[in-house]
Amino acid sequence: MRSLHPASVAVRSLSRSLNTGFLFFVVGVVVSPGGNGIDLLSVFGLVAVGIVVGIVYEFAYYQRFRYDLTDDTFDVTSGVLARRDRELPLGRIQNVDIRQNVLGRVLGIAAVHIETAGGGQTEVSLEYVSEDEAHRLRRQLRRGASGGKPADDALEADDHTTASDAGPDETLLFEIRPRELVILSVFTIDPGASLLGGIALSFASGFDPATLLPGDRIGWLPGPETGPLVLVWGLLLFLLAAWVVSAVLTFTRYYGFRLTRADDELYYERGLLQRYSGTIPLEKVQALTISKSVPFRWFGYAALSVETAGYAPGQSDSRGTESAIPLADADRVNELARAIEPFGPADLESPPRRARERYAVRYLLVVAAVVGTAALVARYTGVVDRWYLLAAITVLVPLAAHLKWTSRGYQVGDRYFLTRAGFWRRTTKVVPYYRVQAVLHQATIFQRRRNLASVTADTASSASLLGRAATAHDIDDQRGLELQADLEERLQERLRARKRQRTVGQWFREADDGDSSDEDPSPESNDDR
Amino acid sequence: MERLTPRVRVVWLALALVRAAIFGGIVVGAAIGVTRTDLWAGAPDVLVPAAVAIAVALAVLRVVVAWLRYGVWRFELRDDDLYIERGVFTRVRTVVPYVRVQHVDSRRSPLERTTGLATVVVYTAGSRSSDVAIPGLTPARAESLQESLRGLAIESEGEDAV
Repeated sequence: MRSLHPASVAVRSLSRSLNTGFLFFVVGVVVSPGGNGIDLLSVFGLVAVGIVVGIVYEFAYYQRFRYDLTDDTFDVTSGVLARRDRELPLGRIQNVDIRQNVLGRVLGIAAVHIETAGGGQTEVSLEYVSEDEAHRLRRQLRRGASGGKPADDALEADDHTTASDAGPDETLLFEIRPRELVILSVFTIDPGASLLGGIALSFASGFDPATLLPGDRIGWLPGPETGPLVLVWGLLLFLLAAWVVSAVLTFTRYYGFRLTRADDELYYERGLLQRYSGTIPLEKVQALTISKSVPFRWFGYAALSVETAGYAPGQSDSRGTESAIPLADADRVNELARAIEPFGPADLESPPRRARERYAVRYLLVVAAVVGTAALVARYTGVVDRWYLLAAITVLVPLAAHLKWTSRGYQVGDRYFLTRAGFWRRTTKVVPYYRVQAVLHQATIFQRRRNLASVTADTASSASLLGRAATAHDIDDQRGLELQADLEERLQERLRARKRQRTVGQWFREADDGDSSDEDPSPESNDDR
Repeated sequence: MERLTPRVRVVWLALALVRAAIFGGIVVGAAIGVTRTDLWAGAPDVLVPAAVAIAVALAVLRVVVAWLRYGVWRFELRDDDLYIERGVFTRVRTVVPYVRVQHVDSRRSPLERTTGLATVVVYTAGSRSSDVAIPGLTPARAESLQESLRGLAIESEGEDAV
């Protein structure tokens, strides 16, 4: 049994003290005796109590925390008040992430997060262990994970073990180029950053946007009323601040992004101040997503994310993005995606033409709603004058409908199901058939009028809850039913093929070393079906 | 193709009426509240009747949908998968391969217990269809369904269903 790094008491206490100290500060302010004014002494007394409690708790946490890596499980015993013993079968581990903040880098410690499928949050977090221990754990865990399930890659089993014994021979798959990083930073809008930018601006202006208005320029600017002008100026400054903060954050986040491949797993590293690294097991990949958002597509860039089932849906926005290439040349992204899942050329089938009519009708209704609202506003207030001019948007409707129609498509490949959707953020999903969990055939009341339907191949990927699922939109109703049956049939076929492969691999293994099959955890080994 | 027990319409109708009553109570109550107090001085006289009309229209819609839902609902235990067809407005046909079934629940709400019905919930690891519920089963059928689903899921064992 091992324990955490001793410095973790200090680091955890610090963050804990900030929390409990603040809590007790608030409590102190509220219950402060005397009625008029705050008794500083008792407030700070309470804050000190909070900090001491935090330190004592963290020390106990450190004392109680034990982990152990056995041959086929990772055991963690933890908890101060409520104790918990947890055993993770190594074969079920999905992602292993290592995070290091600035303080951690100074002290040489890192946090290790271990994800499995299922469960609402990260299964095991080791906060903190030493850097070397973190990387040792990552290697051992992943090796155990692929070693604990020998059937899956039994054919490469022997050279695999020798390779990881000698230390993983990593091949560099991708390294972000300075140009790519700059473009990514400039064009990424981080929602958190805009908030930060706004707060920073509020502080800078002393909570009065008028102070930011350059007084000497008002004179020659048109318009006598300064109210809206101040507002516009404030908004402009806010956007600028948000943009700068967002660019800086994105830059530090993806600085030095590298993706390497060692055996059957990907390993990423990134970050300027905080270092993030982790592994993505290739045998657990649920789906690949190639997205080409509008400003990046114009420059010929694309992004790739590798989806596993490791992250819970709620955390996928914060962590799931890590298993991704933020931005790279579209050709490189395609090449890399094919290196991970060898899908053939993307030759997508478009939805029938009547789907385009449907989009046109939908957009016409939107335009009608906008014009109608404007007419109402014009009637009851004086803000809008010539509301009927808005009807000019109608000319955009055919274009928009056509663009939407051309962006959508699907392909039933040899081993993969491909779907594409979205004009602004064109997303191509690649789903291996054997990862399909369920197939949904959906037709809304409007789709039924035109004999259309949408078919979704659902996977266990944690990203598809917030992002887009692999859906073939608005295809012919009958074709949709065929597609549904086809996907199901191909899933069963792939499962049978994989099973055959495993059984054959098993025979080879048994021929190699006769005694290992006895302790093999996979149930298929003794099954002669 | 198997249909649900016709009695399930009672459950759905009761639920529809309760929900419509809650929604109608809020809308009509808010309308009355606004007109009786001086929160909104120029409130038009038609406000309360309009709110009542909206509430009644939605209640009727809910009842109709609850009634129609029975006619649409179908399920079938096929060779390799569970097939479900449902949805009044959006028609959804779901195919859940037995290999992907994680676990099967049988549950009975108070309303279902009084009408003598049960619901079987099939869980997969999928992110959208992670729980597929088959309502309106007799307890005996729910039990046998749960049993056969379990058997089929074990029979078609996969790797780790993820």
